[in-house]
Amino acid sequence: MIIEHPLLGPRDAAEFVYLGDAAMIDRPDGMTVDDTGMHDYMYLRDNPAGDIRELWYHEQGDRSWLVVTRNTITHEITKVELARDVARRSGRSR
Amino acid sequence: MADIKLTAATLSAVGDIDIAGNRIIIRDDLSLVSVATPLGGEDALKKTLTAAFGLNIPAATLSSTAKGMRAVSMAPDAMLLIFAHATPDAEMHVRAKLGGAGYTTDQTDSMLAIEVSGPATMAAMERICPLDLQHGSFGKNASGRTVMEHMAATIIALGDAHFLLLTASSSAKSFLHALEKSYRNVIS
Repeated sequence: MIIEHPLLGPRDAAEFVYLGDAAMIDRPDGMTVDDTGMHDYMYLRDNPAGDIRELWYHEQGDRSWLVVTRNTITHEITKVELARDVARRSGRSR
Repeated sequence: MADIKLTAATLSAVGDIDIAGNRIIIRDDLSLVSVATPLGGEDALKKTLTAAFGLNIPAATLSSTAKGMRAVSMAPDAMLLIFAHATPDAEMHVRAKLGGAGYTTDQTDSMLAIEVSGPATMAAMERICPLDLQHGSFGKNASGRTVMEHMAATIIALGDAHFLLLTASSSAKSFLHALEKSYRNVIS
């Protein structure tokens, strides 16, 4: 499987480590969220038959975190973004 | 408890390796200093790097060179400076020149530089490296971090079938073995 890195171009998936659902970027504020909200963030994941956004870490490369949109049925990768850019778009400072 | 004395092992004693006209050279004359960009300090580092060393901040897949020094992109907001430096104070030298515009760390002892060249180099590299190193896609001064065999490596194109490889000192012996074996496999 080839992942089209936004900065480096096509890279073999063997260079990456898979983490899981990209929803982990949106961690709720632990000081204000209730138990249910933190529980859902920690443990509940969608398991779609289709597109899913995942976090991949380029460990054997530039050590960047990526958000990869992948189809779980075909394994086709339709979008790759720097996780940093995704986080900033959602209002994070870095 | 028995007294144990740890002695640093170096590959310098290996010397240059010649395999049917292909050269593997341990470049222990090079110093390596990483420079990280302070948050929001991109412009200041860019100006200071150019003023101090004549270098441009390298693009993600390239290295830049000036006055005997090479800057290699290692990660977003991080680069590695490679240069010959006679005394073991390379980091202090860079830190003084940058004057706080970048965060510096000496990597000379943690990484080993190996220069490879020769007619079988492309074939030998193809066997153990997942990057496309053909000249059209990885020309002179191109750089990339990847994995060779199971070991992390940084590859810098010095010319046609001529590369500088950086790998962790801790596994450098295994890396050198993999490299040498690959050369021998494609030649035999």
